[in-house]
Amino acid sequence: MKRIIDKTLLIVLLIAFLTSLYLVFNWVPQIKASNTAEQIAQKIFYFHVPSAWLGFLAFFIVFIASVGYLVTRKRQWELVSVASAEIGVLFVSLVLITGPIWAKPVWGIWWTWDARLTSSLILWLIYVAYLMLRRYLPDGSKRANLSAVVGIIGFIDVPIVYYSIRWWETQHPKAVMASGDGSLAAPMFFTFMFSLATFTLLYVYLLRKRYQLLVLEDTLNKQFKEMEIL
Amino acid sequence: MATPALQLAKVSKDFGRIIALRNIDLTIQSGEVVSILGRNGAGKTTLLNIISGVAKPSSGKVLLFGTDPSDKLNKAKLAIISHEMFLYGNLTALENLEYYGSIYNIPDPGQRIANVLADVELTHRRFDLVATFSRGMTQRLTIARALLHEPSLLLLDEPFTGLDQHAIGMLLTLLNQQKKLGKTILLTTHDLHTAKELSERYIVLDKHGIIHDGSMKETTPDEIRKKYFSTIAAEQVA
Amino acid sequence: MRAAIAILKKDLRMEFRSKESILAMWIFSLLIFVIFNFTFEVSRLIMLEIAPGLLWVAFIFSGMFGLNHSFAIEKENGNLRAMALMPVDGGQIYLGKFLSVTIMMLLFELLIFPIFIIFYDLQLSLEMLLLIPVVLAGTIGFTSLGTILSAVAVHTRNQQILLSLLLWPLVSPIVIWSVNLTGMVLAGEVATSFYPLLIRVGAFDVIFFTFAYLLFDFILED
Repeated sequence: MKRIIDKTLLIVLLIAFLTSLYLVFNWVPQIKASNTAEQIAQKIFYFHVPSAWLGFLAFFIVFIASVGYLVTRKRQWELVSVASAEIGVLFVSLVLITGPIWAKPVWGIWWTWDARLTSSLILWLIYVAYLMLRRYLPDGSKRANLSAVVGIIGFIDVPIVYYSIRWWETQHPKAVMASGDGSLAAPMFFTFMFSLATFTLLYVYLLRKRYQLLVLEDTLNKQFKEMEIL
Repeated sequence: MATPALQLAKVSKDFGRIIALRNIDLTIQSGEVVSILGRNGAGKTTLLNIISGVAKPSSGKVLLFGTDPSDKLNKAKLAIISHEMFLYGNLTALENLEYYGSIYNIPDPGQRIANVLADVELTHRRFDLVATFSRGMTQRLTIARALLHEPSLLLLDEPFTGLDQHAIGMLLTLLNQQKKLGKTILLTTHDLHTAKELSERYIVLDKHGIIHDGSMKETTPDEIRKKYFSTIAAEQVA
Repeated sequence: MRAAIAILKKDLRMEFRSKESILAMWIFSLLIFVIFNFTFEVSRLIMLEIAPGLLWVAFIFSGMFGLNHSFAIEKENGNLRAMALMPVDGGQIYLGKFLSVTIMMLLFELLIFPIFIIFYDLQLSLEMLLLIPVVLAGTIGFTSLGTILSAVAVHTRNQQILLSLLLWPLVSPIVIWSVNLTGMVLAGEVATSFYPLLIRVGAFDVIFFTFAYLLFDFILED
């Protein structure tokens, strides 16, 4: 059953990714810009924003799984939270990489200590620290407890970080979904939503796979232990 | 029948890749003195952690005096003596005991502290920093700290390892006193002779489970050693 | 409350017993100002603009010193386990630790501030009294998060590095706001945004403290 779900997910993902690449590069109309570099750079938006959204989603799942762990003390919750944190860091890394790639041709600089950029970097640092902590601790319920506590505090901090830096003047383009005044043309909106859905699907797939791998590791280690005992 | 001091039913601690205990069934009556034997890594420390409420079992039920071990009332009835001293080097002996006295909210702390200090023969050094104490003295203070709040259940994790002869004698006397007072004592040890001197019952822990539960009276240390030679710390046999 | 006060008393007694480390910390913060002066050779005007940030850098270093120390002394003889065995709520233990760390940090800040005034030749004025709530709010935010994360980091071998890794990103909003508020007071321009911002810092202090208080039990558990 698990196999079938994974296989189906993978096939759907492949099709969705190819479709969204087609939509982004061949279907959606070019924006009006001063040069072609900027026009091409703009395409990154369809990957950049979904990555950011997935970062948040992943960290929210870390939070939920951490609470779940502290309530039930079940290993499964711990594995979900670490899997989601890893994927979240991956996606926020993508945000931090695609951002400068866009910024260089458009703003002329790779990086600026802008509100949105700074808060994304801090977010990334919070969860890198979470993963580092886990690296430093030996496996066991102590590690599970400590990382669940950090997983909870970390997520409470996320909105505060964004809030704290908001009063800074930002050069960053306005959040399109929030403006809601139709600043995005219909084809763009469709392409964006399609890309968002594709990325979310990717997250689900990665989370499943990473979780299964962690469970497998546990089972294998346990079997070694059993062999030692007998 | 009175509530047993300790009841464990099908207790397992197994987290992820770590198996520490499996299916432990154990009942200890109030006033019993029980030795837990087994080699290092057999799960003795985990068992004590679960009994003291510091660790939660992954399955099974633990009852300490009829209630949950993490219950605050239970924690007040419990003391641990192990290689960890639970003392601050930068405080004097007296300050250390005063600190634990107020944490455990003991009645008439001044008198009680004077008593335990006298019991371990440290009254004359009470104003000295623990950091300046010799090993033996620190260990005696550890005993005083553990007995300070008059616990009903004593958990002793290898209490005799590293002790000098004087301290061993003192600890034995104090433990025998506690036994007479009807306190329950659980000790893990490699030292079968001392175990026999103190306890009536012994259990052998191996492969994360209890493999034997017997009476000390019907056997000699040599017999136990012969039977469980492979399981009970080979390092102590020499 | 009894247990929290017992822990507080014990901690302060130990801290004051090692006066050398308090002195060392004070000289260290002095060094921060000296080093910054060398590394940023800028005009006095710019120096004044970055002064609030510098002040908080010194404050944070003094706070880190206390935080690293706070649970290191508990780890030494297995006292963390002793804490897990105590017949009190984990929150009470957190409260005791939080209070001792906060009091030590405030004390350091009190020692650092005069040097700061002298080095940057600032005019003392009645308005500077507004720094008291600012420093209090910023410090409490820093220590309320710092205390619980210090208890987490102490379980690793690299506790000092890990505490910085965990704490600094998480506490950055509080620090950013505190620097901002300090800047307003030092510049003598307490804008209308001053009080709402101060209240916001206070509100987040309460949030952090409450969560840490409630979660501390899990940290002690094995």
